[in-house]
Amino acid sequence: MTPGRIGSRILDKGVGPLFLIPALVLLVVLLVGPFLYMVGVSFTDLSYALPGRDGNFLGFDNYRRLMREDPVFWESFGTTLTFVFGVVSVEFVLGFALALLLFHHIQRRRVVLSLLLIPMMLAPVAVGLMWKLMLHGEFGMLTHYLRQVGLLGLRTALLGNHDLVLPTVMLVDVWEWTPFVTLVVLAGLLSLPRDPFEAAIMDGARPWQVFRDITVPLMRPIIALVLLLRGIDAFKEFDKVFILTGGGPGTATELLSIYTWRINFRNWDLGYGAVNAFMVYLVVLILCAVFYKAIYWTEGRAPK
Amino acid sequence: MRRTWRIVAIAALVVVLVIVLTPYLWLLMTSFKTRLDALADAPVWWFTPTLEHYPKVFFDKGYLPLVLNSLIVACGSTVLSLIVGVPAAYVFARHDFRGKEDLFFFFLTTRMAPPVSIVVPMFLMFGFVGLIDTRISVILAHSTFNLSLVVWMMRGFFADIPSEIDEAAQMDGHTRAGMFARVLLPLAAPGIVATAVLCFILSWNEFLYALILTAFESRTLTVGIPGLVTPHGTLWGQVAAVAVVATLPIIVFTFLVQRHLVRGLTFGAVKG
Repeated sequence: MTPGRIGSRILDKGVGPLFLIPALVLLVVLLVGPFLYMVGVSFTDLSYALPGRDGNFLGFDNYRRLMREDPVFWESFGTTLTFVFGVVSVEFVLGFALALLLFHHIQRRRVVLSLLLIPMMLAPVAVGLMWKLMLHGEFGMLTHYLRQVGLLGLRTALLGNHDLVLPTVMLVDVWEWTPFVTLVVLAGLLSLPRDPFEAAIMDGARPWQVFRDITVPLMRPIIALVLLLRGIDAFKEFDKVFILTGGGPGTATELLSIYTWRINFRNWDLGYGAVNAFMVYLVVLILCAVFYKAIYWTEGRAPK
Repeated sequence: MRRTWRIVAIAALVVVLVIVLTPYLWLLMTSFKTRLDALADAPVWWFTPTLEHYPKVFFDKGYLPLVLNSLIVACGSTVLSLIVGVPAAYVFARHDFRGKEDLFFFFLTTRMAPPVSIVVPMFLMFGFVGLIDTRISVILAHSTFNLSLVVWMMRGFFADIPSEIDEAAQMDGHTRAGMFARVLLPLAAPGIVATAVLCFILSWNEFLYALILTAFESRTLTVGIPGLVTPHGTLWGQVAAVAVVATLPIIVFTFLVQRHLVRGLTFGAVKG
């Protein structure tokens, strides 16, 4: 066999591993490595702010601290859950309704869909700044009109008020991501088979019955997909809220991601921060596993 | 009855579009307003536009290099992810091996990995090798999510190519690698373009990795904008100008790949 032929034989048989290994190496170096390093650091007292804390082994002390001695973490966990369940449910209901409306009553959708894409494709930082400008306590455009119609007190600012700030940032998220639900649900509706609907209408079913007994069951996989994708993303939310409020006033909008950021990069308490980071990761991993199962369920086989 | 519904639907749609578009329109307008108009007590809708903010922030305040940084980072991460990810996606689409779906799940978890968790150890590790405040560090960080996006999206695009084409190519005497390069890649080109655009957008828009991993020299646009916001006396015209430059190209891009966007955003599970 000539060397050239051997080379081509390797290219023929070895394509699988040869093509896969670079991707795996990159991910192991950039994700698995840091992940393991994070777990390692979580057992130490590493800190860049306090003297003498240069990574001494602590055992499970940091985990104990998180579970028993850190009410702020659990408060932040609660805020995150409120945020996630709040935005995902509102986005889902509004987005689904809008998709049904587009599906049934609007024929020429292309332009509308393009415009609906805008909020979710803008950099979240820009979204945050846009709304900070609109909601500014002194010259914000929205603030002005809300005050004019009497919905907002003259001295209240939506982003400065302890009770109003969380619903406000949630509304900004609803603005940004409702169109996403609409797009995915609409794509799902368009891919449904027509026969069951025609049969139901022949049988004299009312629109509401058609929706409840045919649309919803057929759409169940898409619904699961949308809820999980939004849930995971909302759980990781950082950029917008960081820009809009920085977690404040006080800790009113301090989501888990912002709390983790503060422990690590404001307090430089890296050992304890690693525990926080690990908890966030753990929740996302669990949601991921559910998501994967949901996709299997969608297609009845591995996702393509 | 149907007519009434149609009118209601159109009215609702108009309201939705007004809500969706007004904030962005307001940002655009603010970038052309004088300081007086921007800070007026009552919102100003009609005004004489000024172009002063754009040169001021990009030249006088030196924000132009940030645009370049963003461009280099987004292009670099896109190219790296494609080079490494497209062959991997091909293997997932065409080869069978043990543990394939588990490995695929691993790719999904990397796409979903919360940046706030990974950025801390990454910051420490890049610190050891002296990569902090370099564009390379951000390119590598962004490849964590872009690579898996490529694998997920491209697997679908390869799977859409009928396997008869593979057989025909092998009959013609192509090796597997040759077939991949000369036959399948050209067929998958539209998918690669759509994936590339989506990668570019995700990297361009990313904030947290870039915020932590850069200090000054290699700041990207998204990291630079908040620096213009101060507790008092924020120059909103300049903030808006930078935000417009950071977003307008993305909107154009979005329209270009609209057809593939739903697929990309749902990891190939829904074909738009």
